Amino acid sequence: MPSASQSRKSQEKPREIMDAAEDYAKERYGVSSMIQSQEKPDRVLVRVNDLTVHKADEVVWVRARVHTSRAKGKQCFLVLRQQQFNVQALVAVGDHASKQMVKFAANINKESIVDVEGVVRKVNQKIGSCTQQDVELHVQKIYVISLAEPRLPLQLDDAVRPEVEGEEEGRATVNQDTRLDNRVIDLRTSTSQAVFHLQSGICHLFRETLIHKGFVEIQTPKIISAASEGGANVFTVSYFKNNAYLAQSPQLYKQMCICADFEKVFCIGPVFRAEDSNTHRHLTEFVGLDIEMAFNYHYHEVVEEIADTLVQIFKGLQKRFQTEIQTVNKQFPCEPFRFLEPTLRLDYCEALAMLREAGIEMGDEEDLSTPNEKLLGRLVKEKYDTDFYILDKYPLAVRPFYTMPDPRNPKQSNSYDMFMRGEEILSGAQRIHDPQLLTERALHHGIDLEKIKAYIDSFRFGAPPHAGGGIGLERVTMLFLGLHNVRQTSMFPRDPKRLTP
Amino acid sequence: MAAAAELTLLEKSLGLSKGNKYSAQGERQIPVLQTNNGPSLTGLTTIAAHLVKQANKEYLLGSTAEEKAIVQQWLEYRVTRVDGHSNKDDIHTLLKDLNSYLEDKVYLTGYNFTLADILLYYGLHRFIVDLTVQEKEKYLNVSRWFCHIQHYPGIRQHLSIVVFIKNRLYTNSH
Repeated sequence: MPSASQSRKSQEKPREIMDAAEDYAKERYGVSSMIQSQEKPDRVLVRVNDLTVHKADEVVWVRARVHTSRAKGKQCFLVLRQQQFNVQALVAVGDHASKQMVKFAANINKESIVDVEGVVRKVNQKIGSCTQQDVELHVQKIYVISLAEPRLPLQLDDAVRPEVEGEEEGRATVNQDTRLDNRVIDLRTSTSQAVFHLQSGICHLFRETLIHKGFVEIQTPKIISAASEGGANVFTVSYFKNNAYLAQSPQLYKQMCICADFEKVFCIGPVFRAEDSNTHRHLTEFVGLDIEMAFNYHYHEVVEEIADTLVQIFKGLQKRFQTEIQTVNKQFPCEPFRFLEPTLRLDYCEALAMLREAGIEMGDEEDLSTPNEKLLGRLVKEKYDTDFYILDKYPLAVRPFYTMPDPRNPKQSNSYDMFMRGEEILSGAQRIHDPQLLTERALHHGIDLEKIKAYIDSFRFGAPPHAGGGIGLERVTMLFLGLHNVRQTSMFPRDPKRLTP
Repeated sequence: MAAAAELTLLEKSLGLSKGNKYSAQGERQIPVLQTNNGPSLTGLTTIAAHLVKQANKEYLLGSTAEEKAIVQQWLEYRVTRVDGHSNKDDIHTLLKDLNSYLEDKVYLTGYNFTLADILLYYGLHRFIVDLTVQEKEKYLNVSRWFCHIQHYPGIRQHLSIVVFIKNRLYTNSH
């Protein structure tokens, strides 16, 4: 007769076998082996964005990240995320899923990438917390393609929480330094995705509009032999046995292209400014979108082209990136960007009058301080209902030496700035194309002629009258979306305190 | 503004032609007026009240018992809370409180112009002059009251006029 312990053992074993046998879904979940391009399955992956009622009752494959997973008895609710979009998924004990499979799903580390096969089902009540509100995915198979480590340096839900809501409800938000230190994770948030998709759109629209206007795209060197805009804020690099500098702007080369008969040029490239400014709007490296154009008789021909280019960009963004704008607004609410057609252009003296009327004291030849620029932006917004305007005819005294003076008033210049939401985005002017006048003005500014000899030489053999200007991609993105720090619109920002990632 | 200068200003605004001589007493330079008949008067609000009576404008001290009490309250407020406080945070707290108070009043006592309005105007001028456009819009009722008082005949005199914008630039109008 078997002993008591022996009979107990024989009772345990069958249950084990039963447990293993009960996992009827064993083949339908698990951690996949690393994708090393072993096979080419005949499988179409559907974008989360496309999971709508149109696909109701279809069986689809989706690759996305596990945003959250939550077990509830015999069910596991997952939120699967792909860039700006997310959808609810359900693993429930039943024909397709076993309880081991449900447990597996509930334990997948957040941010892991999974391949999911499931049926798209219409839901009765809208799922407010997801972008795909009308459907959910009933999971039949789930495989981990790339496992994330269990402890994340920041929680994505915290990273998209609006600041105010965080304070009010005592819930966490993520501060900027943490975000920037863990940029790869931070960039995954729906807000970041939206911001940089829109930024890509700005570059695209800039190119598209200018090419349509007959401009030629050029590339200018960034390693240069002499500081272009004045020696103070320039980075030095060692260049074999000598020193060279990183270009502070493509100014010199844009102009040389005009003298080389390219007539209308633009370039998109990095700009390096070694300015030890720790503000919300300064970076040491940023992307410059620059324009230079020969004109026939008046520099306003160029001003109008530049303004129109920007307006086309604004219109294009509002038309093609409305989803992105709304996504950003969810975390950072702001008024939609407003502009007039044709663009509002004010003279500097009009601006002075407006400021003086508001109680600000300013000299006729004084430059606008940042607070005054912002106040002026408010006054203009109130009076004309526009977030975008041009300020023309700046005082000559506050502009660089190569700015063409006004022919009728020696205290003024043919120069202009453009503003978005009260902050400067472009500084431009008619350039002096006469070598003699250029020399005169350089001497007046106390500039060493030896250092700019090459620059002056480019105008000696017939130079067309020309003007131009440049914008900063990050700043324009920031101001269009109504954000408040240029680091939010620079993927891997560089400032006096940050060199990584 | 020094107390003596302020009292001279007050004399003119009350239409008094005689210019009194004021001396100052103590560390905090409290003004003293030596009268012809009787004891000397000490303190800004005491002397101010005296000047009002001299000018035959006692209504400026309030008509009803309640109004008189409110005038006294604000004169005291002026000397204890406004003078001697130049800490930025204190001033903003003060302006915030004053702004709520003035929500439903034209003048400090309600509907009548009194000495309280004059002395608070003189006392606050040096702070209001330095407010940004945004701050002036934030303390909308203070701005409305201040703008009204500074335009009152005879009150402002040589003090600089503070500009107030009539349109809202910062608050959403809807």
